[in-house]
Amino acid sequence: MPTDWGSLLIQLFSGLSRAMMLFLVSSGLSLIFGVMNILNFAHATLWLLGGYITFSIYTLLAGYYGVSILLLAPAVVAATLALFAIGWAIERTLVRRMYGRELPEQLLLTFALILIIGDLIRLFWGVQNLRIVLPIEPMPVLGSFVNPYLFFIIAVGLIVAGLLWWFLARTRTGKIVRAAVYSRDMVSALGIRIPNIYALVFALGVAIAAFSAGVFLPIIPIGLGMDMDLIVQCFAVVVIGGFGSIVGTFVASLLVGIVYSFSILIWPDGALAIIFVILVAVLIWRPWGLFGTEMRF
Amino acid sequence: MIKSLFDKVDLTPPVLLVLGVLFLLLPLLPGEFPLVVGTEILILGLFALSFNLIYGYMGQISFGHAAFFGLGAYTSALILRPMIEAGQLGYVGFFLALAAAVPVSAFGALIVGFFCVRLTGIYFAILSLAFGELLFYIVFSWYSFTKGDDGIQGLMAPSVLKSGLVYYYFTLAVVVMAALLLWKITRSPFGFTLRMLRDNQNRTAFLGIDIRRVMLLNFVIAGAFAGLAGALWGPFQRSVSPALLGWHQSGVPVFMTLIGGAAHFAGPLVGSIIYTALNAYVTQFTTYWSLTIGLIILGMVLYLPGGLLSVLDGWRQRRRKAGT
Amino acid sequence: MSPSILEVRDLNKVFGGISATKNVDFDLAPGAKEAIIGPNGAGKSTFFALVSGYHRPDTGSIRFDGKEITGQKPHEIARLGISRAFQVSNIFPRLTVEENVRSAIQVRRGKAFDLFSRADMVGLERTEEILSLCNLSPKRSRPAGELSQGDKKKLELSLALAGQPKLLLLDEPTAGMSIEETKETMELVDRLNATFGLTILFTEHDMAVVFNHAQRITLLHRGQIIMTGTPAEVRANEQVQKIYLGGQA
Repeated sequence: MPTDWGSLLIQLFSGLSRAMMLFLVSSGLSLIFGVMNILNFAHATLWLLGGYITFSIYTLLAGYYGVSILLLAPAVVAATLALFAIGWAIERTLVRRMYGRELPEQLLLTFALILIIGDLIRLFWGVQNLRIVLPIEPMPVLGSFVNPYLFFIIAVGLIVAGLLWWFLARTRTGKIVRAAVYSRDMVSALGIRIPNIYALVFALGVAIAAFSAGVFLPIIPIGLGMDMDLIVQCFAVVVIGGFGSIVGTFVASLLVGIVYSFSILIWPDGALAIIFVILVAVLIWRPWGLFGTEMRF
Repeated sequence: MIKSLFDKVDLTPPVLLVLGVLFLLLPLLPGEFPLVVGTEILILGLFALSFNLIYGYMGQISFGHAAFFGLGAYTSALILRPMIEAGQLGYVGFFLALAAAVPVSAFGALIVGFFCVRLTGIYFAILSLAFGELLFYIVFSWYSFTKGDDGIQGLMAPSVLKSGLVYYYFTLAVVVMAALLLWKITRSPFGFTLRMLRDNQNRTAFLGIDIRRVMLLNFVIAGAFAGLAGALWGPFQRSVSPALLGWHQSGVPVFMTLIGGAAHFAGPLVGSIIYTALNAYVTQFTTYWSLTIGLIILGMVLYLPGGLLSVLDGWRQRRRKAGT
Repeated sequence: MSPSILEVRDLNKVFGGISATKNVDFDLAPGAKEAIIGPNGAGKSTFFALVSGYHRPDTGSIRFDGKEITGQKPHEIARLGISRAFQVSNIFPRLTVEENVRSAIQVRRGKAFDLFSRADMVGLERTEEILSLCNLSPKRSRPAGELSQGDKKKLELSLALAGQPKLLLLDEPTAGMSIEETKETMELVDRLNATFGLTILFTEHDMAVVFNHAQRITLLHRGQIIMTGTPAEVRANEQVQKIYLGGQA
């Protein structure tokens, strides 16, 4: 086991960046569940789709203008918007027909989406892993080298987390969304069109996930099957943090991300196992999560 | 008279009888392929029947049921493998290897269930999925014991059972016995305790029942039968791999039960016939099987949420309405 | 004085700073048929929930049939012989009426974990008895979820009876019932008490029902017992007029 400070630091940064991705994906998952009571099994699959779309747009642009990190920005923005539209459409055509249905049926609908979207990805992009290679100079930190892109990811993650918090806490629409977590009746009593709020929350959640997939492309190659690894970890995050709680999701993301990246150092095969142990402990000790309220359980 | 009989009688025996006759006659179809599909239908059908004990009867959804199927498959495979290598595979050893899968899977279900039964709804679903994935990773990464990703190859049944036809009838016999046992359980007082739990958990507790014990016992029974189904799989496919424990495999009984109808005992079996036959047929034309089954599931959830056998309930209800 | 079947001493329960049950002492003689009344939020349901083990008291003790039951779980208390019928009917909607009652009887007979008998062969006589007692025989093969409100309440009562209780707690047994159904149900309650010697404690909003059917009445207000007495005594009490009748009407 390496014990020098440099490699520990690298592990810390890698854990933090991982935590950011977990947060960006899980916050949407948590919000969708909190507002609509729908557990979106396909959330990470839509994340994956966002990554593939980002890749294609970037590759297209890079073909014209050459390899550059700047081209990633328009690609990510376009993919985020595309997934916002796809999320909106999915909520409008499929998910909304599940409100009030029994839980297993809701789960099955989003489970079917995993299969469908997964195969569509295979149809369009094939089975090989895809990755964007950017010419980034590693940065020396305490005798080891760190990819400075990690800092960028952590910063972007924090900014988006801040924006999300601002949206939920300070804007009128955000306040309505938060109110919907606690009482649907109250929101419709205020004369607000619930269906639009639902579609917005679903689309927003999916778009943030797609955004994170795009931003991560330069350091993590994407491939089929990654969605299942991620969704299981996101379930862990959301359960540990408490469904519907953004603060809880943030703290749990940090916990899971950092635990994951340090356990790789100690016991490479056991990283997920350790997270599951935390998950099981939380589920048994506080099933409503660290920051959730017991009422909603 | 006949009409009122139709309204009252449990439709399961006739449905099971029809299925039984169809399975007995299936080898009349030409070629080896129907036997392969038939054996797969039976094994996965038993797997799905065991799953429905948790879903249809107890009202909880497990996304990790394949863990016990895989545990059973690996148990018998790990016992069979040395016997086959030593060239000493006999009937006794073979049957013991299959039988050993049952207590091992049951024990696995006891441990996983101990945690899962503390929760219900999505929490139950998430925890079962997490445990399933955990067991998958253990089998996947414990190379010295399980051969990891390579799986265990070269499995077989002894002498006469090697024939596809004989193995088919052997599987049929095992599955019929297991299904009858399961059917008996669902009609026992315990079976009704499960239904009470599904319908109204609080009320069940007030009647004086320790809910967790009921859930745990049922989880263990379901795991044991899933293990038996898994044990039949290795000698049939000649190999086992970690994918047998994975989430994809856990989805299989969920889909089958949904297609056939969870409210009917025979639903998962009917679902297995459709799912497996479609799988065998569709994959000859396209490699996009997930897309196909995904669209079918989507259609079922939206337009026929009770599954195919719920059509029978619809007839009955209309008759009852027309009668009174 | 005959020993009490239910003996509650200095019972307290606080929810979020508000006393739902405060220093309650309560005794019930075997074979009694009594009512607990009080305005909404007086603590009637909390009291039932404490006795049946659904909530844990903060302090105090509950003895049933000579045994300490404080802090025991609902299923343990149910096994000792306290059955509770719920205010909002609490049945098994996808089972038929007959299956509802039959399954509850099988649970009572310790068959809940019986894997190998046939459920439709166990406890049939008792099922018949209860179904006809509660006038549910004609609806036996209907799914319980399709019953009318009144029939659901009757089934609720049947389920409580299936537990062969020594003490029956009825939380507003006639809520949601028509006048005929109310009469029918309360006659059944009287019969259970007179013929079978069942001890019954009920809450009820309908004062006519309470005064006609309870031998003694206990008034709860803000978690505390204000008074206990016969219907005539309660009706004459000024405090009762002020708190209850005045507050409600």
